[in-house]
Amino acid sequence: MLQLIFFNITNGLIIGAFYALMAIGLSLILNLSGVINFAHGGFLVIGGYLAYTLTPSLGFWGALIVAPFLTALIGFVVERLLIRRLYGRDPLYSLLLTFGLAFIIEDGTRQIWGAQGLPVSIPAVLSSPLSNEFFFITGYRMFMVATVAIVVGLLFVLLRYTRIGVRIRAGTLDLDTVAALGVNVRALRSLNFAVGIFLAGLAGVLAGGQLGLEPTMGDGLLMPSFIAIIVGGVGSLTGTLLGGLLIGVASGVTAVIFPSASEAVVYVMMAVVLLVRPRGLLGEEGMFT
Amino acid sequence: MSKDLIGRAVQRRTILKAGLAIGAMQVASPFVVKALAEEPIKIGLDNPLTGTYAAPGKNEQIGCQLAVDQINAKGGILGRKIELLSEDSTSGDAGTAVQKARKLIERDNVDFLVGNVNSALAQAMAQVSNEKGVLHVVPGGHTDGITGIDCKWNVFRVCNTTRMEANAVSDLLFKTYGKKWHFITPDYAFGHTLFQACEADLKKLGGTVTGNELTPLGITDFSAYLIKARAANPDVLVVLVQGNDMVNCLKQIAQFGIEKQIHVAGTQQELEAVEAMPPEARVGVWMFEWYWKQAAGTPGLDQFIAEIRKRSGGKVPTARTWFGYVTIHAYALACEKAKSIEAKAVARALADLELPPDIKLQPNKVYFRGGDHQLMLSAFIGELLQKGDGDPENLFKVNSIVAGDSIAPSVADTGCKMNMPA
Repeated sequence: MLQLIFFNITNGLIIGAFYALMAIGLSLILNLSGVINFAHGGFLVIGGYLAYTLTPSLGFWGALIVAPFLTALIGFVVERLLIRRLYGRDPLYSLLLTFGLAFIIEDGTRQIWGAQGLPVSIPAVLSSPLSNEFFFITGYRMFMVATVAIVVGLLFVLLRYTRIGVRIRAGTLDLDTVAALGVNVRALRSLNFAVGIFLAGLAGVLAGGQLGLEPTMGDGLLMPSFIAIIVGGVGSLTGTLLGGLLIGVASGVTAVIFPSASEAVVYVMMAVVLLVRPRGLLGEEGMFT
Repeated sequence: MSKDLIGRAVQRRTILKAGLAIGAMQVASPFVVKALAEEPIKIGLDNPLTGTYAAPGKNEQIGCQLAVDQINAKGGILGRKIELLSEDSTSGDAGTAVQKARKLIERDNVDFLVGNVNSALAQAMAQVSNEKGVLHVVPGGHTDGITGIDCKWNVFRVCNTTRMEANAVSDLLFKTYGKKWHFITPDYAFGHTLFQACEADLKKLGGTVTGNELTPLGITDFSAYLIKARAANPDVLVVLVQGNDMVNCLKQIAQFGIEKQIHVAGTQQELEAVEAMPPEARVGVWMFEWYWKQAAGTPGLDQFIAEIRKRSGGKVPTARTWFGYVTIHAYALACEKAKSIEAKAVARALADLELPPDIKLQPNKVYFRGGDHQLMLSAFIGELLQKGDGDPENLFKVNSIVAGDSIAPSVADTGCKMNMPA
């Protein structure tokens, strides 16, 4: 039993890392632009399918790098053409827009690549378990965790030490002042949106290798990501990372003890956090209230 | 005077118009009658086109449309053309499925309702069709109740019941793989009855269930359940989830190397899912409800495959395409037999209809059983192939084709009490 719980904690961390990747992208966009991006799961799907299409010509590794950039480019265009127009309005407008976009992307994917799921092959070096005992730790899952760690690490460095990063963080706290200081806020938001979508695209490529592709695959991953943000604290990227890991572990451990509650437990966690500490574990008080 | 004049003029015009109208009616009336005769018979298909069952839903639609086109090319049903109206029921929302069924029946006045892939949605639709007295065929929803305790005079089913699926493979799994079984089961009507059927068979054979992991429909990550299943150390891991869930589950089983330690098998397997899997995930003993690669010379088979390839981007037909094809052809045959499209008359004709060779497309006798309105279709039992055998699309090696009535429980055992209205 102890071993089973230990297995599931480790397993939960792996899944949680993936949620965190999705959630950090969402969080970036929410923090700077105030947009609750319901189409984030859709961009994940685009990333996965683009990688599938590119793999024959670029190989797995090439597609892994190129597909997220292409997804980010699509995100950039979408921000310029659609989302930008709704800044400054009630967040409900952008929520409805992205909600609609999510449907359009899902049906568009179905039109282009078909309703039937598509298999994604992963490189042979990654495809087997590392040991017989820890069979659930496969090369690919380790690779996923490592990729998430590297990308999130790079993102934190970008936000901490570069001029753009500092501006994004400052904009999160007080956008009006940043604009008054002469920063091109429009460009900053576009770039920030593209970075968020890049993370979604990357998550899509990684998820494709793990699960295969299917037009609705983003739906199931979107909700836990929102919950990760709420649990971790709106406005805090570190909190979002922590929130993602926590809900992964919680649902993993619950699957051992009380399987039918393994989905419900993340919502219970969210409810408890909202009641006891509404700003989330690492969220700053007074933001987004 | 002028008043008088106007009055008379109006009268004359009125009479003229009336006369014209009478004349026109006499000329037009045959057209009215003819137009009625040419009004198409409407068939409403209420099936998933989005969500986890979009692929099987789409294939059932392709099969239906092929049958509709073939029947229309031969002059329709009783001299009337038929028309297929499609609605997206979603993959799991019974409310939407019911609303679409009501729309098809009440607003479009369909004569015949078809659906659903999802058992729970099929059951919800059956309530509506029964209330409205519309003939209803469930092409691909498997839960027992539809032709069991919840059977209805107007509802027929083409695909297997879950009990038939379990009976088809239980013996074989027990004999070849062992007696300790662990289940991965989708947590809704279909999964519950399928698990119960397998459990009953296993107990009869003297085996034990080491656990049953109930998983929510549409879940993407099975790792927590697989960790538990392996820890229970069964002889066989029986995978009962379907659609994309099946793809995800088998893919993770292969990634974890579980199939090298525990036998992996299941009951129902579908070509849609197998095609979406990477080769290493194609493992185990399963049953297909219909399979395209059969002995040469099966009547009508080559033509069916060629027609479906034309309509599905070069892909071979699946059991789902066959379900759709059979559903529409069976309806047409029953209407011709009853010489009517009135629901009760067609239901009576359908109740003991045997499918002709070019419709059944398989060796055994295939017929609807009057007592529970269940089609007796064969089970194709065999093993998945990692790489196509002889043909890249041939991903299943059929070991035996078992007649449906040899694996179906008797009508009395289904719990169905059929009440045909007079």
